[in-house]
Amino acid sequence: MTITAHHISYWIGQQPILHKLSFTIGPGEVTVVLGQNGAGKSSFLKILSGEQKPTIGQVMLDNHDLHKTPLPQLATMRAVLSQQYAMGLAFSCAEIVMMGRYPHYRSHPSADDHRIVMESMEEMQVQHLVQRPYQALSGGEQQRVQMARVLAQLRDPVSRMPGSTRKLLLLDEPTSSMDVLYQQLCLSKARALSRQGYTVVVILHDLNLAAQFADTILLLKRGCLIKSGKAREVLKPSSIAEAYGMEVEVLEPENYDFPVLVPASHAIQPALIRS
Amino acid sequence: MKRKWTTIALIVLLIVVMILAAGIGAMRIAPQQVVAILLHQAGIQLPVGYDEGMANVLLQIRLPRVIMGMLVGTGLAISGVAMQGLFRNPLADPGLIGISSGASLCAVLVIVLISSLPVLHIDSLLPRYYLLNLITFIGACATSLIVFRLSRIGGKTLLATLLLAGLALNALCRAMTDLITFVANDEQLRNATFWTMGSLGGATWTVVFTLLPFIAIPVLLLPRLAKSLNAFALGEQEAAYLGINVKKLKTLIVILATLSVGACVAVAGIIGFVGLIVPHIIRGITGNDHRSLLVNSALFGASLLTLADVVSRTIIAPAELPIGIVTAVLGTPVFIMLLLKQKKQLRSLA
Repeated sequence: MTITAHHISYWIGQQPILHKLSFTIGPGEVTVVLGQNGAGKSSFLKILSGEQKPTIGQVMLDNHDLHKTPLPQLATMRAVLSQQYAMGLAFSCAEIVMMGRYPHYRSHPSADDHRIVMESMEEMQVQHLVQRPYQALSGGEQQRVQMARVLAQLRDPVSRMPGSTRKLLLLDEPTSSMDVLYQQLCLSKARALSRQGYTVVVILHDLNLAAQFADTILLLKRGCLIKSGKAREVLKPSSIAEAYGMEVEVLEPENYDFPVLVPASHAIQPALIRS
Repeated sequence: MKRKWTTIALIVLLIVVMILAAGIGAMRIAPQQVVAILLHQAGIQLPVGYDEGMANVLLQIRLPRVIMGMLVGTGLAISGVAMQGLFRNPLADPGLIGISSGASLCAVLVIVLISSLPVLHIDSLLPRYYLLNLITFIGACATSLIVFRLSRIGGKTLLATLLLAGLALNALCRAMTDLITFVANDEQLRNATFWTMGSLGGATWTVVFTLLPFIAIPVLLLPRLAKSLNAFALGEQEAAYLGINVKKLKTLIVILATLSVGACVAVAGIIGFVGLIVPHIIRGITGNDHRSLLVNSALFGASLLTLADVVSRTIIAPAELPIGIVTAVLGTPVFIMLLLKQKKQLRSLA
């Protein structure tokens, strides 16, 4: 699916959050959203998810207004991983992942649904946690279970071949509590899905993960889109300095097809030049 | 599998409790006689002896009371589950948003007004009783409507505000009820305690049939919302991401809970703790999946309240102890025991 928007703005009360954003997010690639805390990344994702409506302008999903798509229909093609979950009632991990299948069945899950739940859990390597209560897990494990739920939500049962590729995956800091191995696993999975035709949008803080996994980067600062384009074009010292107020050096290690960003050596002592 | 067996066990328990409860009282009716009388109504003869008086007591006095107990227990238990699902907190109670205290305020107000204002004096007992039921029910709906309105901002219901508004209105209704009972005379006071402490003493077939739809509708509709309630536990927004119309869900749950709790308070007064304890016990056995939680809580609530009523009408016979006292006195130790057990489980997990 292609998401397009032209000059959309978003206000909360009198507070401008996003200002005149124009963008096209295409299928088949990973689009990473970068920016300082409070730059409007999460609000941006909320608009893409259909949760919030832009105050001015509209977001088009292929040729339809995203915010006029009925919720149940949207739920079968768009999944969102949020930053935090506050589970009030205790559920087992399998029950949580099964919630991802809720948009697909009425009252009883089919054998397909059960199989998809198990496969999604295996993909995120949480199959050993099936019966464990969600609350008893560590932060990273919880994040992997939620990711498995999100994957299960977008999956088409194999019986209905060929699976639709009109899928939108939105991840808000999916790796924030994961260790390095699972960070790689999670984002590799996101990239693999994009190669199957999914549209994938990820908010990240780690510039190096962005450098490794992003095809396209949108760089936000105080609600404005200050740069967008191919990852390598955006990850330049000048744009990073503008967005984060921090000097970086972009290194190109041998045998790697992505750059590595480190704090500029002359500025390591007061690495922060934020104003 | 475990869930299915729990449901079957609870159905068996309910039938046993029903037969035993119908037999216990001033006139003892043995279980086989209860079965024989009931089957006789259905046209099946059993070789068990009983006399006509026994059949009359069972059919006209005991049975409506037992069934009313089952209905009230079911209503309180499932609205407890619904409220806990709505607030995403296992400690929520149907009384929390002011439904029951608003209802009992209206009831007490009417009791005092009827006996002090000659205009309102209705001589025969029955219309007076139904008038009271009706006004109590209106009181329940009115308070929950006010609380619900207060918590709506721009078409959205804020649950935290709903809770706070409920607490505030609860306190106000309680205070006003206390004020009225403070100025009431002895007879009014005795009538008022019926509403503030609960009793199934008003059971007749008419009451049972009046109550039935108010319990049946939530019992039939709430399980259809089971998936939505589960998803709601992830968070309001996450539920919306899964295609659930959150606004509609919240409204529907408040309406269904008000229907059943309002009707229960209207016929039986405030019976505390059932909406809290029953779901809690069931959660401990079969988990939080609302698909089984709602059904099992409904069944268990019915059994528990019927048993509590047996205690309330036999423990100081021929007088009756208000059933609200029984549920609180028996419920609290059970609840604390469960809490301690869970604490131990949590510790072993950590």
